[in-house]
Amino acid sequence: MTTKLRNVAVVGFAQLPVVARDEHRMATEMLYPVVREALAQVGVERDAIDYQVSASTDYMDGRPFGFVAALDVMGSWPPRQDLHLEMDGAFAAYYAWLKIQTGEVDTAMVATHGKVSEGEPDRVFNLQLEPYYHAAIGLDPTSTSALQASAFMARTGTTDADLARVAARSRAAGTRNPDAQLREAASAESLQRTPFKVRPLRDGYLPPIGETATCLVLAAEGKAETLCDRPAWIHGTHHISELQTIGARDLTRSASARLAAEKALAMAGLASAREVDLVELLATNPVEEFILLDALGLEARSGGGSGPAINPSGGPLCAHPIMSTGSIRLGEAFRQLAGRAGERQVAKAARAIAHGAQGHCLQQNVVFVLGTERRWS
Amino acid sequence: MSRPVAVVGVGQTKHGARRSDHSIPGLVREAVDRALLDAGLEHADIDAVVVGKAPDMLEGIAQPEQFLVGALGGHMKPVLRVHTAGSVGASTAITAAVHVQSGLYDRVLTVAFEKQSEGNAMWALSPSMPFTPPLVAGAGGFFAPYCRAYIRKTAAPMHIGPMIAANARENAGRNEYAHLTEPMTVEDVMNSPMLWDPIRYLETCPSSDGAVALIVANEAQARKGPRKPAWIKGAASYAEAMWVPGRDQVSPRAGKVCARHVYDKAGIRNPWTDIQTAEIYVPFSWFEAMWLENLGFCAEGEGWKAVDRGDQKFGRHLPVNPSGGVLCTNPIGASGMLRLGEAALQVMGRAGAHQVENVRHALGHAYGGGAQYFAMWVVGAEP
Repeated sequence: MTTKLRNVAVVGFAQLPVVARDEHRMATEMLYPVVREALAQVGVERDAIDYQVSASTDYMDGRPFGFVAALDVMGSWPPRQDLHLEMDGAFAAYYAWLKIQTGEVDTAMVATHGKVSEGEPDRVFNLQLEPYYHAAIGLDPTSTSALQASAFMARTGTTDADLARVAARSRAAGTRNPDAQLREAASAESLQRTPFKVRPLRDGYLPPIGETATCLVLAAEGKAETLCDRPAWIHGTHHISELQTIGARDLTRSASARLAAEKALAMAGLASAREVDLVELLATNPVEEFILLDALGLEARSGGGSGPAINPSGGPLCAHPIMSTGSIRLGEAFRQLAGRAGERQVAKAARAIAHGAQGHCLQQNVVFVLGTERRWS
Repeated sequence: MSRPVAVVGVGQTKHGARRSDHSIPGLVREAVDRALLDAGLEHADIDAVVVGKAPDMLEGIAQPEQFLVGALGGHMKPVLRVHTAGSVGASTAITAAVHVQSGLYDRVLTVAFEKQSEGNAMWALSPSMPFTPPLVAGAGGFFAPYCRAYIRKTAAPMHIGPMIAANARENAGRNEYAHLTEPMTVEDVMNSPMLWDPIRYLETCPSSDGAVALIVANEAQARKGPRKPAWIKGAASYAEAMWVPGRDQVSPRAGKVCARHVYDKAGIRNPWTDIQTAEIYVPFSWFEAMWLENLGFCAEGEGWKAVDRGDQKFGRHLPVNPSGGVLCTNPIGASGMLRLGEAALQVMGRAGAHQVENVRHALGHAYGGGAQYFAMWVVGAEP
């Protein structure tokens, strides 16, 4: 690394508790309070934030330019330096970090919204697929995930019971997260009795689809300390995409997550992901978790054992507000490192990995390595 | 910019109403291949890909960059997708420049496209907003009142819009990639049907299929050649809220602030004299006069007078949209990047038949939303 990097930290994070459907608020009404809360956390008004990035997708909003309305509730007056990414918020956070690296801005706000209950995600995300052959046969995120799960289980001998144990561990963790949508524990045995949605994925192994809004605040060294008593410093980050074409990928592994993790860990100066205390993964089913852990060089675990805690928030299996799920992973890593994770606090958490993903079968992955200490002197 | 960043390759497709010779990946690839060839680079040289396009409803594919990763050469690379409404092509190229400016990326491919023949733009651009009666009139219906407000505010005579449209078409005749090139007179424009008063049929941008790709690179790469680069002297994207009481929709504050930011970075003190040509986003004729004011080329109320004098014609004081601009070529998502790419070609001296003489600085500009999003850069012949 020849480039001298700036120390940049997550200094604030706000979200609404994830719900299946917020009957009484539209997307911007949901976003406004979290923008206000994030600013209140860092103790400044909007004028003190140099840059803003919003993240959402028009198709989930059910209309073109859904993000334009977000400008108003993000405090975009007077005019702000701004960008909108048609991506999960974790990728927007990566870009905010990159923008701060230029030295032109010191602080940035990353907001996500998505009124998922107004659409049918499986039908909407069918439309992400290559339109000539794949979308036309009716594949959706659940069925492509099921293809991936089948391939993975066939290669590795992973069983239905293994999937159930991971789901049960997530559900147990979710009971400690007041922002989670599913907050009731479920035993592996009971989850293994739930019907198949698409074989080999059972209802109990799939995320509840919900909605929320989130707002992250990032700041460079010099500002970060004034905005937060315990900033979560970004030690390394990278993101990688791979081909969508399902038939052209080894679905049992995530080459893009592996490369993103390698680059992020190298930037962080860590030899291994085992050196962190917790990982928050955007795994929308247990097999994705196995694949991501493998990409990170971590052992799969259903509970206990040594090594970093996996999704202490309960992860996407307890709350999956599409477009915000990755932002929440980064927000959860921040809460853990800042000692704000309440009942789910991992003791003495000093380093964390936050992962975001989007696209069918983990097509695009972003990895952040964070720590309580500054990375560069 | 603190770290010099330059455009080292430009590629665009032949734009048209219906590029039925290509699928979407094929169309995108035509631009990408040309940009790489132009820069003397291979896919392996590219560190990241930044993609932009306007609403996904235009083609009916959600986040289409995901299925286009192969066509973009983005496999096992960082790929980001930008969407800032009409300004997206410009904000996408600027996002690529930020990658290089950060020092973390040396060569970034940035691509914008739209294949409007695969969908229905009027439907895709008619948002249904909560608590707002649906207009279902597309972008023209939305922006016509802005033009009407400009006319009322400045007492501009009604032939100004048609003059702008006819001039754009004349310019497009010198651009081998343009979609609409058939010559037309001011009279032809004035005799064309009124679509959304005061905008007539021939004062309206077309729906086009097209793509554009740029290679943005660091100083070392730019100095290596093979071609003279276009140095990005200043670049920014700004946005403003919609529902601000008293917001000036005719000359939005975000446009002024963005232009000031970019001019300051680029050392432009007086844009009218320091900039030799401008590619600005004019989807409906009147916006050319409006943006001449908003961008500081003309004082308030003076933009239409510059048009009336012909100052913005090819070969005159400040040729505006020598490529023919959005009025002649409008693959929406790509339209902003085409402005920035055309500005780059002008300072590189490689704009072909529509090359303006002695261009030291050129402006590329785009806007979007309800005239809320602004993205622009000034490129220079020297770093």
